[in-house]
Amino acid sequence: MPAEELELIQRSLNGDLEAWGEIVARYKEAVFAVTLSILRNRADAEDATQDTFIRAYENLRRYDLSRKFSTWLFTVAANVAKNALRKRRREKDPPLEEHSGDPAEEVHADLRLTAVRKIVHELPQEYRSPVFLYYWHGLSVAEIAEILGLPEGTVKTRLHRARAMIRARLVEEGVIPDAVG
Amino acid sequence: MRWDEVEELVRAALTREVQEASAGLAGLETRVIQALARRPLRRSFLERLRAFFAQPVPRWALVGATCALLLGFALGRLTAPRPIPAYASNLFVIAAPGARAVAVVGDFSAWQPIPLSDPDGDGIWTAVIPLPPGRYEYAFLVDGKWVGQDPLAHEYLRTFGEYVSVRYVGGSGADRSS
Repeated sequence: MPAEELELIQRSLNGDLEAWGEIVARYKEAVFAVTLSILRNRADAEDATQDTFIRAYENLRRYDLSRKFSTWLFTVAANVAKNALRKRRREKDPPLEEHSGDPAEEVHADLRLTAVRKIVHELPQEYRSPVFLYYWHGLSVAEIAEILGLPEGTVKTRLHRARAMIRARLVEEGVIPDAVG
Repeated sequence: MRWDEVEELVRAALTREVQEASAGLAGLETRVIQALARRPLRRSFLERLRAFFAQPVPRWALVGATCALLLGFALGRLTAPRPIPAYASNLFVIAAPGARAVAVVGDFSAWQPIPLSDPDGDGIWTAVIPLPPGRYEYAFLVDGKWVGQDPLAHEYLRTFGEYVSVRYVGGSGADRSS
């Protein structure tokens, strides 16, 4: 862990909220990507991101300084998002947010990219989270397994299946040719 | 299209999705600090535990838990992997002395585990899986640990930081083990 980050965490442990604000600024986008991958709704993911930083601060004494901080923080984020998902399902699961960008912008956007975003958006949740953590966060399979609380073999099989599903849908929608690479 | 090209598309798509969606994160630092400054002191774990057990358990919760258990069981049965249609048999074999559970996962099973067996307990685990001619990617799971390099494979790939075996069945690349 960088010395500067360690210092911020130690100051946070001593009750320095400004130092924690700096941690929030550094990790908010990465935490948001974790919560978005699970909740698939921007507003809910924003709430879960805020909740993650509040819970993480309150439980900071449980964080083992010898471990990688981001892995611990993403584990908190995944748990907060899963709880929010359960609560949403209990109350009344709203329809998934439609995948939509600015229509005018999308006309000019790369059609393949738009198709991939839609396909990833529609993947089942158990596949979306490993896909985000692997391809967006660039984490190792071991770290993803720790964050999601899954065996490494399960993470690997889910990544393989997700990738196969994405390619199959791209072929099905005529975005890429049906050829084995 | 190659796998690495698909993966590059996925990376680019996710980057754009997060960039567009994260506009609402502006000022989050201030909101978190304000929320933490306003929060009352948290009760200790023991206090919360005592308060939790002081509440009576509602009957609907027990009924709900039973229903969820039954529903999960039914869904598990319904979504179980379908058997592969009968084609030429292929032997998957791995030496794993002392292992408790061995399975093979591959694109032929949508990466769902197919268990191997070791009836005589000699540490050689096998499964015969009927497969039509084609190219197959697979790996073994030995007590949940990924074993991607099968000595009987025709080639190996490296994906997600681990090896995956490749086997060709039928045609010019006939399977060595069948």
